[in-house]
Amino acid sequence: MMHTLDDAAIEYLLGFADDELCVGQNHSWWIAVGPFLEEDLAFSSIAQDELGHARMLYEFLELEESVDQIAYGRDPREYRSAHIAELRCHQWPEALVRHVLYDLAEEVRWRALSKGSWKGIAAIATRAIAEERFHLQHALSLAERLLATAEGRKRLLPSFQRLAPMGQELFRVNLDELQLVESGLLSSPLIDQKNSWIKNVETFLDLFNCEINWEQFQDAPGREGMRSSDFESLHAEMIEVLSLDPNAKW
Amino acid sequence: MKTYEVFLKKAGKEPFGHAGSLDAPDDHMALLFARDSYGRRSEGEQIWVVSRDHILEGNQSDLALADRSHKHNDGQRVSELRTNQRLKKELGE
Repeated sequence: MMHTLDDAAIEYLLGFADDELCVGQNHSWWIAVGPFLEEDLAFSSIAQDELGHARMLYEFLELEESVDQIAYGRDPREYRSAHIAELRCHQWPEALVRHVLYDLAEEVRWRALSKGSWKGIAAIATRAIAEERFHLQHALSLAERLLATAEGRKRLLPSFQRLAPMGQELFRVNLDELQLVESGLLSSPLIDQKNSWIKNVETFLDLFNCEINWEQFQDAPGREGMRSSDFESLHAEMIEVLSLDPNAKW
Repeated sequence: MKTYEVFLKKAGKEPFGHAGSLDAPDDHMALLFARDSYGRRSEGEQIWVVSRDHILEGNQSDLALADRSHKHNDGQRVSELRTNQRLKKELGE
């Protein structure tokens, strides 16, 4: 069945792509300053994968502008990223916790796309899932080992409590979300995806007696085009090299 | 953290070769890091990760004996001898 890129689908996929772009860029801030060499390499490799996923999604949208223009050249109000993706996380516990929460969410989100009826996007999702398996293994293995120590719990759990509620925004879209299931783009509604994610986060954190106050979430307007305060510096970093010579051929 | 040695094997008949080493908190993480540090660009199709504790190190001085050139037989001298013998025979000497 041929799909048509309706407005809801564009809004949703653009939001997902922008999440990937922001997280990829944020992860890459840790290149050369990761906590130890092996983690530095692993985290940079993950950053690169997330940027690759953003590119695949932007390309799929077949918008009029070039992928570079869409990724770097839009007005901030045209981005659709969730605020948790924009957070700079310049403290390692925050960066690691966001990595855990974000990749647990990605697992659910990609699966719903891979099981949808849009062949092109399902193929992209299948490829992403193959890479995400390693991201998640990495995130959970490292977090588990750190959380097994009192010091690790002291450093990581407050970040989980602060960031997990924010993660709910990843399962939001600006337009009618029912349309996403009706059109076959998603195999399950965002609300169900969000609940699976919450369950997975809770199952993981139960091992460490950590409870999350999900109500603490203030509905964030990232999907409507409102950027968080961290976006400005993130975007400046994204376009730092590009703006040295906007007409350079790469 | 423990130190591990990583070995990679390319496709085909190539033997495993030493790729490098890494530090990891335990075996499970060592395998994960080995992939990211040495195999993320598909440099090999099989990977071995060995804790350095499990490597037996021989005595270096046992390898450093005096002149062992007589053990490096590339067959050249024998081949020269044979060629000369054959030539002599052919010439009917």
